[in-house]
Amino acid sequence: MPDFTDALKPAYDGAATLVEERNGSKIDVDELSKHLLSRDGFLERQKRICEVLESEKLFDKSQQMNLSRPDRYHLGLARAKAIRRLVHKHNWGHEDAKMAEYLTDEMSPFHLHLTMFVTTIREQASDEQRAYWMPKIMGWSILGCYAQSELGHGSNVRGLETTATWNPETKEFEIHSPTLTASKWWNGSMGRTATHAIVVAQILVPSPSFPTTLKSHGPHPFIVQIRDTKTHLPLPGIVVGDIGPKYGYASMDNGYMLFDHFHVPKTAMLSRYATLDDTTGTFTKRGHPGLVYGSLTFVRANIIMNARLVLARAVTVAVRYSCVRRQFRDRDEKGEGPEMKVLDYPTVQVRILPLLATTFALHYTGEMMFELYGSTRESIEKGDFSTIAELHSASSGLKSLCTTLAADGIETCRRAMGGHGFGGGSGLVGINADYLSKPTVEGDNWMITQQVAAYLTKKMTIAVEKPDSPPADSVDELFQMYLRERDHRIPQNAIHGTQIDDKAVVEIFQWRAADLTYRAYHARVVEKKPWNSLLIQLHELSRVYSEQILTTTFHRALTSSSSSSLSSPTPSVLRTCFRLYTLYTLSNSPLPFLTSLAISQSTLDLLPDTILSLLAELRPHAVKLVDAWAIPGYLLDSALGRYDGRVYEDLYDRAHRKNDAMNKTIFNVDWRSDEVVLGSGDRGRGILAKL
Amino acid sequence: MTPNPPWVQALKPAGPQGHELLQLERDKSSVPVAKLSEFLFTKEAIERKRRVLKVLESEKVFNKNQNYFAGRVDRFETALARAKRLRQLKVQHGWNQEDSIVANDLISEPGPYGLHESMFLITLRDQGTPEQHELFLKKAENYQIIGCYAQTELGHGSNVRGLETTATWSPEDKTFIIHSPHLTASKWWIGSLGRTANYAVVMAQLIIDGKPYGPHPFVVQVRNLKTHEPLENVHVGDIGPKFGYNTMDNGFLLFNHVKIPHVNMLARFSSVDLSTNKYVRPMSASLVYGTLTWVRSHIVLQSGSVLARGVTMATRYCAIRRQFQDRDAPQSEKGETAVLNYTMVQVRLLPLLAATFALHFTGQGMMRFYAESQKKIHGNANTASADRGAGPEETHAGSDSLADLHAASCGLKSLASSIAAEGLEVCRRACGGHGYSSFSGIGPWYADYLPTTTWEGDNYMLSQQVARYLLKSARSVKKGEKPTNDTTQILTEFLARSDMGAAFDIIGKDEDLVAAFAWRTAYLTFEAYKHRDEEKKAWNDLLVDFYRLSKAHSQYLVVKNFYEALQSPSTTDVLNEETRTVLHKLFRLFALNTLEQESSEFYQSGATTVRQIILARTNTVMKLLKEIRPHAVRLVDSWDFPDWQLDSSLGRYDGKVYEDLFHRASELNPLNAITVDPYPESSVLFKNDKSRDFKSKL
Ligand SMILES: Cc1cc2nc3c(=O)[nH]c(=O)nc-3n(C[C@H](O)[C@H](O)[C@H](O)COP(=O)(O)OP(=O)(O)OC[C@H]3O[C@@H](n4cnc5c(N)ncnc54)[C@H](O)[C@@H]3O)c2cc1C
Ligand SMILES: Cc1cc2nc3c(=O)[nH]c(=O)nc-3n(C[C@H](O)[C@H](O)[C@H](O)COP(=O)(O)OP(=O)(O)OC[C@H]3O[C@@H](n4cnc5c(N)ncnc54)[C@H](O)[C@@H]3O)c2cc1C
Repeated sequence: MPDFTDALKPAYDGAATLVEERNGSKIDVDELSKHLLSRDGFLERQKRICEVLESEKLFDKSQQMNLSRPDRYHLGLARAKAIRRLVHKHNWGHEDAKMAEYLTDEMSPFHLHLTMFVTTIREQASDEQRAYWMPKIMGWSILGCYAQSELGHGSNVRGLETTATWNPETKEFEIHSPTLTASKWWNGSMGRTATHAIVVAQILVPSPSFPTTLKSHGPHPFIVQIRDTKTHLPLPGIVVGDIGPKYGYASMDNGYMLFDHFHVPKTAMLSRYATLDDTTGTFTKRGHPGLVYGSLTFVRANIIMNARLVLARAVTVAVRYSCVRRQFRDRDEKGEGPEMKVLDYPTVQVRILPLLATTFALHYTGEMMFELYGSTRESIEKGDFSTIAELHSASSGLKSLCTTLAADGIETCRRAMGGHGFGGGSGLVGINADYLSKPTVEGDNWMITQQVAAYLTKKMTIAVEKPDSPPADSVDELFQMYLRERDHRIPQNAIHGTQIDDKAVVEIFQWRAADLTYRAYHARVVEKKPWNSLLIQLHELSRVYSEQILTTTFHRALTSSSSSSLSSPTPSVLRTCFRLYTLYTLSNSPLPFLTSLAISQSTLDLLPDTILSLLAELRPHAVKLVDAWAIPGYLLDSALGRYDGRVYEDLYDRAHRKNDAMNKTIFNVDWRSDEVVLGSGDRGRGILAKL
Repeated sequence: MTPNPPWVQALKPAGPQGHELLQLERDKSSVPVAKLSEFLFTKEAIERKRRVLKVLESEKVFNKNQNYFAGRVDRFETALARAKRLRQLKVQHGWNQEDSIVANDLISEPGPYGLHESMFLITLRDQGTPEQHELFLKKAENYQIIGCYAQTELGHGSNVRGLETTATWSPEDKTFIIHSPHLTASKWWIGSLGRTANYAVVMAQLIIDGKPYGPHPFVVQVRNLKTHEPLENVHVGDIGPKFGYNTMDNGFLLFNHVKIPHVNMLARFSSVDLSTNKYVRPMSASLVYGTLTWVRSHIVLQSGSVLARGVTMATRYCAIRRQFQDRDAPQSEKGETAVLNYTMVQVRLLPLLAATFALHFTGQGMMRFYAESQKKIHGNANTASADRGAGPEETHAGSDSLADLHAASCGLKSLASSIAAEGLEVCRRACGGHGYSSFSGIGPWYADYLPTTTWEGDNYMLSQQVARYLLKSARSVKKGEKPTNDTTQILTEFLARSDMGAAFDIIGKDEDLVAAFAWRTAYLTFEAYKHRDEEKKAWNDLLVDFYRLSKAHSQYLVVKNFYEALQSPSTTDVLNEETRTVLHKLFRLFALNTLEQESSEFYQSGATTVRQIILARTNTVMKLLKEIRPHAVRLVDSWDFPDWQLDSSLGRYDGKVYEDLFHRASELNPLNAITVDPYPESSVLFKNDKSRDFKSKL
C-alpha cells in the first residue's frame, strides 16, 4: 500500500558514501578476493549456488526471526529437503551442497548425516560394515546422527554411562541407560529427524571364568536403528525426542535418548579397530586409528577457516554501517559540514579494525593447516603422523583461540553499532546466537587448552634433558634456543620511533611462548605443583602459544610470493594488518611479554600511539578490505551491512513492509479489558490456551 | 504427547543427587544466608517479594512454561495479556509503586506498558506545567491514554541535537506542525510505541520564524482512542524482531505535517509565548539532568543483581556438574570432581561473584549520593546556568557535587552495565553445553539485558563526559584551588606526592589498595590534561585515552565504595565475623583481579611494581579463590532469587538440574508432539502434528 513515507529519503545518502569510500582506496578487490578465496573453487561456487537459492521462495529469510521454535524446525526441515532436491536437479556435488547449507545459514536437520554420522562409518566401520551401510547413507534411505554426549557427560567421554553389555548366549549386545544422566543429550538431528544413530556406549563383556563379573572396555561406537523407517516412531525400548529451545540452532533438533535393555546384533559394533571374539568373548583393539588423528586436524583447520569467514561477516557489517552512520560534528571544527562517520572516531576504530586485521591472521593459519594436512596426507594414511604431530597438538589450542576470537568479535562488532546493532536488521543476531555454540562444542575452549599445555611441557622437558639432540621440529628449535639464551636475554625493541621491526615482533611472540612453557614445565615437573593449581597458567600458555603460531604464520605469508606479488597497495596494507593484529594483541596482555623479558619497556610505552597510527593507516582501506571477503548479500542478510549502503531504506523496508506479522494486528491495549487482539472478542482465552 | 513411560520415570541421575550436593555445599560454610539477604535488601523488601510472588504464581497468565518456545507475535500477545493482568492486580490488591517494581522484576520480561509507566509518566510529570498535568498526566495515570517516549530516530540516537523531526510554530493558528522531512527522521526504537501506545512524547526541533531552537518535548496523539488505528498522516508500527526484548513493541513513527495545539509543548522549562510568538528560555537544566542521573544511578544499582542472576545459576550448576577425576587425586578417591573445583572455572566465576557485591554496594552509594545532591539542588534552585544541552560538567565548577555526581553516574553506568553484560556471557559459557540451552536461563536474560550497554548513553560515548569532568577538575587543581570533593582531593594528593612516588602496599593494606586505584586515575587524568591542554591534541584523537580514563576512574569508585561499605558501622554492627571476613575476601578478590587485568596502567603510573602484580596474581588471587570457594553457594543463596524468577533448570535452589532439564525437554516441549517424514524425496514434512492440542492440554 502506498503511503506518504514512500517519497522520503534519508538525510545523508548512504550509497554515495560507500562509493566515496571505495574511491578512496586503490586496493584491487577482485585480486585480493581471489587470493583469499580460491581454494577449492570457493568464489565461483559461492556465486553459482547463491543464485539458485535466491530464486527459491523457501530460502527467503525475511520472516524467520518471527517464528516460534517448532516453526523454525519446520522451516529448517523443509529447506534441508529442498537442498537435497536441488542437488539432484542441478547435479551438485558434496561441496556444492555444503555451500548451500552455509549460505542458508542455519543448522540443517540433516547436518549430522553427512558429517559425523558418515565420517564415523567411513573411519570406524569394518569393510563389510562399510559395504552394507554406505549405499544406504549415500542413498538417503536412512538418516543418521551421532550420539556421544549425555545429560551427565560431555567433555569426559570416558565417563559416559550408557552401557552395551555382551550376551554370549544370544550373541547380542544389550544397550541400556541405567540412570537419567545416561540419557543421550545434545545430539544433533536426533530429536525428530534421524532413523539411525551412532551410539557411543561402554562395552561390558562378561569374564569367561566368572560370567557374573563384567569387564569394561571403555566407550565404543555402535550403529543403532532408533526409529521405524515407515511410521518414523521410536522403536520399542527407546525414548527419544528434541531437547527444546537453545540460544541458537533453532532449526536443529538436538535430541535426547534413553534405552531400556535394547537389543542390537553383534554387527552393530563398529569393528575396524576393535573386535570381539564370539566364542571366547575376548575383546581386542587393533591398530591406532591414525585416520581419526589426521581428520581431527583437518576438522580443526576447517573450524579456523570458518571462524575467519564468520568474523569477516561481522566486520563487513560493522565497517560498512559505521561509514554510513554519521553522528555529531567534529568538536574541534566550527562550521556546518556533514556529521562525522562514526568509523572516524578512534573508539569505534579500536573495536572494529583490529578484528578486521584478525580475519587475515586467521586466514593464513587456516591455509597453512590445510596445506600441511594435504602435503602429509599420504604418510598420515599410512599411519605415520610425525609430520603433523606438532600441528595436531597445537590444533586444540588454535581451535580454542580462533573460535573465541570470532565469537567475541561478533559481539564487539554488534555493540559498536549502537542501537541498530541490537535490531534484527543488523544481520548479526542469528550468526551470533548460532556461533556461540562453537566455544563449547568440539572440545570446550577452556578444557582443551590443557592438551596443548601438556604437549608443550613434555617437549620442554625433553629439551631441558637433552639440550643437544638434533631438533625434530620448529618447537624443539625454539625451546633449545630459549634454553641457551635465557640467562642473557635482552628485552627487544620492536618499535623504533615510528618504525616497526616486524621480525622483532615475531621473535617477541616466540620468546614469550617459550618462556611461558618453561614456567609451566618448572612448576609441574620441577616443583611438582598440583595440575589443578596450574590450570589458569596452562590456559594462558595455550593462548600464548597459539598467538605465536598466528603471528609467525602471518609474517611468513607476507613474504610469500602469492601475497607479495599482489598489486600495490595490497601487500603494504596486509602488512599494516599484520602489525595491527600483533601489536593490538600485545597491548591486550602486556604483562607476560614484560615478565618474560621478551620486550622492552620502551616498546610498551610506544604501543598506544603506534596502534592509533596503524588504525589511521588502515582506515581508508577498511571498506575495500571487507569487500574482498566477498560475503554475498544473501548470506549477510543485513540492512546495516548492505554492499550498496542503502542502510536506512532497508531498515525501514523491513520494519514497515516486511513486518506484517506484528503490524497487521490491532491490539486492545486497555487494561480493563481482557481481550488482547482488538475485536477478537475472545477475552484473552486464545493466548491463555497457548501457555 | 505421551507422558514418559514408567521405566523412564523411574530413572535417577547417577551418583550423588543434586540436592545432596548442594546440601554438602551449604554445609561447608556457615555464612548466615537469611541475615546477609536482609542486610543487602532489608527485611521489608524480602517480605514484599514473597507476598507479590505468591499472587503471581497463582495466576495462569504468568506461567512461564512456554516463554522459551513461543514465536515473536505470541510472545508479544502474552506480554500484553500479562501487562493488563498486572495492572488489574495492582488495583485489586492496592499495590504501591514498589510492589509493582517487584512484580516486574519477578516476571522478568519487558512489557508493552513499560515505557508508559516509566518515561512517559516521568516526562509529563517533570517537564509539564500544572495545566499540562491536569490535561495529560491525570489521564495517563489512569491509563485513559497510553504513552511512550519518542526521542531516538532512525538516523540519530546519541546525537540528540541532530534530531530531524521538526515542530514548526505557526503563529497564525497558534499550533505546532510536527513533520518528518526525511526517512532518517523516523522515530525508531521507541518502546511501547509499535502496537501499544496511543500517545507519545515526541522530541522535535523547535522552529520559530525559520530559526531552530534545538530539540524540545511535545505531546502528540498517534492513534485513535477507540479504533486504535493510527491517526491520519501519522505512520506508526513495530520495527521487527530483535536480539532480545521481543516481548516489547519497539516502534517507528513518521509525521506528515501534523498539527498540534500550543498546550502540547511541555512547557515547564521552556516555551513559546502565545502573544509575542517568542521563545522563552529555560530556567534551569539541572532538573532535567537530575532525571538522567537518577536513571543511570539506577542502572548501576541493578547491575549487581542482573549479574548475580547469572552467577547464581552458574555457581549452583557448576557445584553439581561433575566431570573427570582430578589428575592428582589419590587412587583411593573415587568419583568425578565438581567443575567448580577446577581453578579454570573458579577464575571465571568467583571474581564475578565478587563483582555482584561490589556493584551492589556501589549502586547503593550512588543512590545515597543522588538523594543528598537532590536536597542540595532544591536548597538553592535557579543557580544553574541556562545553557540547554551542555551538561552540568561544563556549567558548574569542578568542585560542584552535582557535577561530581553526574560524572560518576556516567562512568559507572558504562562500567557497571559492561561488567554485567559481559559477565553473564562468561557465566553461560562456564556451564559448557547445557549453558547453551534456553533452559539454562542465562541466555535469554543476557539477550534482554544487552541494550542497557547502549541506551541512556552508549557506554563508549559516556566516557567522554567523564573525561570532560576530570579535565575540568585537573584544571582547577593545577590552578591551586582547594579540593572540595573526592575527585579534586585525589588529584591534589597525587600532585603533592608525584615526586616521591607511591610505594603502596597493595597486598598488605586495604587502604593502599584503594589508594593505588586513586593514584592511577589521577595519573591518567593529568596525562589527558597534558595531551589536551598543553599539547593541544584534537579531542577526537584522545577518545581512546578518555575511554581508559573513564574506566579507571569508575573502577576506583567501585573499589572505594566496596571498601567503605565494609568499613561502615551499618555493616560491622549487623554482620557476624564470618560474613564480614568472606565479604572482605570478595573485596580483595575484586580489587586485585581488576588490578591484574589493567596491570599496565598500574605499573606505568608507578602505583605498583610489576613484581607486586605478579605476586598478587600467582599467590594472593589463587589463595583467595580457594578460600572463597566453600562459601560460593551460600553467597549466591543470599541474593535470594526465587526459582520462579530465575526460570532455570541449571540454577534451581534444590539442585534438581537433570530432572528439570529432562522434564522440560520431554514434557513441556511442543516439538515432540510432531512426527516428521524425514526422507528428502518426500514433500510431506510433518506426518502428524499434535503440538496445538498438546499446548492446550497443559
Ligand atoms: C549446539 C550443540 C550441539 C551439539 N551437538 C552434539 C552432537 O551432535 N553429538 C554429541 O554427541 N554431542 C553434541 N553436543 C555436546 C557437546 O559435545 C558438549 O556439550 C561439549 O563436549 C562440552 O561438554 P559438556 O557440555 O559436558 O561441558 P562440561 O564438561 O560439563 O563443562 C562445564 C564446565 O566445566 C569445565 N571443565 C570440564 N572439565 C574440566 C577439566 N577437566 N578441567 C577444567 N575445567 C573443566 C568446562 O570448561 C566448562 O566451563 C552439542 C552441544 C551443543 C551446545
Ligand atoms: C531495545 C532498545 C530500546 C530503546 N528504547 C528507546 C525508547 O523507548 N525511546 C527512545 O527515544 N530511544 C530508545 N532506544 C534508543 C537508544 O536510546 C539509542 O539506541 C542509544 O541512544 C544509542 O544511540 P544510537 O543507536 O544512535 O548509536 P550511535 O550514536 O549511532 O552509535 C554508533 C557507534 O558510534 C559511536 N559514536 C557515536 N558518536 C560518537 C562520538 N561522538 N564519539 C565517539 N564515538 C561515537 C558509538 O560509541 C557507537 O559505537 C532504544 C534502543 C534499544 C536498543
